[in-house]
Amino acid sequence: MLGEFEYLIITAVAYLGENAYSAAIRDEIGRATGHKCSVGALYTTLDRLEAKGLVKTWMGEATPQRGGRAKRMIQVTPEGVQAAEHFYNAINRLTRNVSWAPRQLQVTS
Amino acid sequence: MTVKFWNASWWVELLARGLSPGDRETVLGDLAEAGETGNQALLSVAGLVIRRQLSMWRDWRPWVAVFGLVVPASFLLMGFSVSIAQAVLPATGRNLPPGLTVLVCNISLLAAWSATGGFAVGTISRRTTWISAIFSLLPCAFCLSRFHLHGLSPLCLLLFLPPALAGLYFGLRTSRIRFGICLAAAIVTTVLTIPHWNQRGAWPSNFMLSWPAWYLVSTAWRRKAPLRSGLHGE
Repeated sequence: MLGEFEYLIITAVAYLGENAYSAAIRDEIGRATGHKCSVGALYTTLDRLEAKGLVKTWMGEATPQRGGRAKRMIQVTPEGVQAAEHFYNAINRLTRNVSWAPRQLQVTS
Repeated sequence: MTVKFWNASWWVELLARGLSPGDRETVLGDLAEAGETGNQALLSVAGLVIRRQLSMWRDWRPWVAVFGLVVPASFLLMGFSVSIAQAVLPATGRNLPPGLTVLVCNISLLAAWSATGGFAVGTISRRTTWISAIFSLLPCAFCLSRFHLHGLSPLCLLLFLPPALAGLYFGLRTSRIRFGICLAAAIVTTVLTIPHWNQRGAWPSNFMLSWPAWYLVSTAWRRKAPLRSGLHGE
């Protein structure tokens, strides 16, 4: 099962689509959580996800705003999508009846 | 050239050299794009470098290289270096060399043990070689500080260093270890230990210093292909 930070990264990559690269993922996670993750945490987690076959990465083009340096582009693999779905469903099931869950998720027995 | 030691971006570039070229390119690009400069960028790069270095120690190879080879072999080779220096320099008042043949054998053995040990360190764990180097220097510094033998320079402790460094150099540069060469080196090393077989208590040190040669033989036998690249290969 994915870790929570792994899930955040996979979700950000899926959301960004073709524009998913390391700096954009950091921004996206920062916007969602209110805390910008560290470069070290992002890169080591990306390596782990790639080793598990959940994402694939490659070197993208360089841009002037990056000082002429290349991007690390990222894409979620079908296995990554499956793992993220599994994590999401587990969280959904677990939080269904807790007080902080949205009303529509709460089930009356 | 003026080097701005006080400039954080200079330190960031320096620290980023501890990363692989791909990582360095993308991390520095990310920081430039995010507008992170100065101490913030320095902390980001330092964090990644530390994580990368620590992740290498999840593997068994750096541990074997440092604590199974570098530290014990450094002590043993320093002892052997001193015994050879004593034999070469009879002016120290010690016993004369038992014979020229044995002396030549011992010098060759010192070179063979040192070179194969250095080569093995270079191939076992390339990216932690600098840690291995530090752990090799610590025993050397310890022994140099306590060396008091009349007529002998403390530098004779370090006779093993030139062949060890040569072995390390070739170990780091070699992308393919050849079975034939490794086998020949291991056999020569083992044959050179024969004069020591009668000495009581010599077996542990012989084994400790000879296993890198036979490790290289087994590695060359198993792979018979280019050394693995990646975390510890390149």
